[in-house]
Amino acid sequence: MRQCRIESLGVSLPERRVLPRGSMRHAVTAGKHCIRSSKYAPADIQVLINSGVHRDNHVCEPAIAVYIQHRLGINIEFQGRETLAFDLHNGGCGMLNAIQILCALMESGQIRVGMTVASEANSDRKPDPAYPYPDSGAAIILDRSPLLDRGFGHFAFHCREEYADLYTSIVDISVPRGRIRLQRAAELEAVYLGMIPHVIEEVLAKDNLTPEDIDRLIPAQISPGFLDQLPRMTGIPENKITGFPADLPDTLSTSLFLTLERSLAEKPANPGETFLLLACGSGVTVAATTYRF
Amino acid sequence: MHMTSRHPLKIRIESMGVYLPDTILTMEELLESCRNRPKWDLERITGIHERRIAVREYAADLAVRAAARALRLSTYSAEDLDAVICTSISKHDRPDEFSLEPATAVRIRRELGASKALSFDVVNACAGMINGIYIMQGLIRSGAVRRGLVVSGEHNMPVAETAAREMRHSFDGQIAALTLGDAGAALILDGSPDPIRGFHYLDLVSAARHDHYCYSRPSKRGPGGILVTKARGLQRKGNEHFPFYFKKALDGAGWALEDLDHIIPHQVSVRGIENSARALERYLGTPLPPITRIIADHYGNTSTTSHFVTMHDFILSGHIQSGDNLMLVSGASGIVISHAACTLDDLPDRYRNHFGPGGTP
Repeated sequence: MRQCRIESLGVSLPERRVLPRGSMRHAVTAGKHCIRSSKYAPADIQVLINSGVHRDNHVCEPAIAVYIQHRLGINIEFQGRETLAFDLHNGGCGMLNAIQILCALMESGQIRVGMTVASEANSDRKPDPAYPYPDSGAAIILDRSPLLDRGFGHFAFHCREEYADLYTSIVDISVPRGRIRLQRAAELEAVYLGMIPHVIEEVLAKDNLTPEDIDRLIPAQISPGFLDQLPRMTGIPENKITGFPADLPDTLSTSLFLTLERSLAEKPANPGETFLLLACGSGVTVAATTYRF
Repeated sequence: MHMTSRHPLKIRIESMGVYLPDTILTMEELLESCRNRPKWDLERITGIHERRIAVREYAADLAVRAAARALRLSTYSAEDLDAVICTSISKHDRPDEFSLEPATAVRIRRELGASKALSFDVVNACAGMINGIYIMQGLIRSGAVRRGLVVSGEHNMPVAETAAREMRHSFDGQIAALTLGDAGAALILDGSPDPIRGFHYLDLVSAARHDHYCYSRPSKRGPGGILVTKARGLQRKGNEHFPFYFKKALDGAGWALEDLDHIIPHQVSVRGIENSARALERYLGTPLPPITRIIADHYGNTSTTSHFVTMHDFILSGHIQSGDNLMLVSGASGIVISHAACTLDDLPDRYRNHFGPGGTP
């Protein structure tokens, strides 16, 4: 039974700037866009989850979600309408984890409206040239679906922890202000691709679907080569796979929902269409869910 | 955001594991290492005499050791776990490194062999483990998972060492870092088979207007991470509001004050807890019975793990008994105020049998 839907989606797109805007600015911009197009007011949001990986000044306490909550004006004082804000970290799959949690909280009757935000930026004064991700932000408001067969279906997360060392990101604090050191092994994409058939098989089976039932596959934009391999690995024809290899690079935690936003902007979904969302990240983790409009 | 006891399924602490490193560092020894020793008698002001410190062990190691202990007491094996949520703040997994990816939960999953578990990290300052319980409750109630591990390993000493190196005067914002200690804690949670045992009420609220009282990040002046706290302001603001939420949690659990057997506060400092208890007494208009449990004097502030280190100590000493009613209370940077009202099953007896004198710790 599908009970949780995307009520609103907002993004802050990568852009070329002399002075980078930072992850907080991208999170807040995406959040404001999302709230502006929502029927809900900020005060209606009961849980706010930030699932971005890289943070301005590498702050590790308090939760970055609290700073975002403050800047979006979501129930910022005690003893009134209340919001719980926290961070969730799981690399490129973090937003899907956050959505699964918000869906669980809705299904168990704990909340009615939730929001997840992610943003990425490298705030180092001299960023490592190997750092690959352009700055960006994405935000989603979720609520209970008015129709029982619309919204998110089941989720599948596959983790191959034996490959955990293929993707590591740390803040080196041996230097003042800290510095991001990110390492991605060349074989990482091959591991993602090898895991994808199993994840998709599981999620489609849970939702009683076949690849033919999928109207659009929305993948994280890992690389043009990765996108080229998806028809073979998923059994979904190329014309149903959304890729923007020329102008939408991989943006880590935000990539899946920047892709969804662009796809819907170019061609809105028809009621009853089923999308398959696919994310990949460190761990090594590959995650998928279905969404019916 | 709160959850009342109306839902038919309660979750319970099926098992618990706590890991405390053997090495003890006294407040006096830590103060002696300060480049500019504060002029205050910090031991008297905080009531913290000593703490445990991890030597050649790091945050993920502390979490894994605690989780392994929880599994030894549990009826479940690592393979049975459907979820692993790691809630550590101090992700110091190697010297001079702070881990971002992969999630620490993935490393824990690998070490334990929890190969089927959904795994991710949750960070919400010192409210992290209660936040993890809240998430696990949602996942269990929705049917997405049947049982899971909420675990944390706090290797806070690198932050205390930076404070000892960098503090310039007795009013330095890093002084609160000298109250920290290291520990690991783990809970295995599942659906309670007994409707009167388990978590009756969980409540967490973030008031972001007060996000400036405490923060942690890499130092601008040199190597290491820093924790900067406006301790008096944080405590004043917390004490202004937490009694309201404490009463709300009591009401939500359907308890009167006299139904409570133990109040387990976040162990910021002995004096801090005593001040908060007085604020609660003023709000309730009645003296508290002597049920506020304090271990900060010999373990310091072990951040996310502190409630469960306290439970560990008071279970082993025989104060916490099977069937007791507990209220876990946390104030964390953000500011996040959280309460968890819980009735234990036979965990204390099982815990003592396993980890107490004559047990197999």
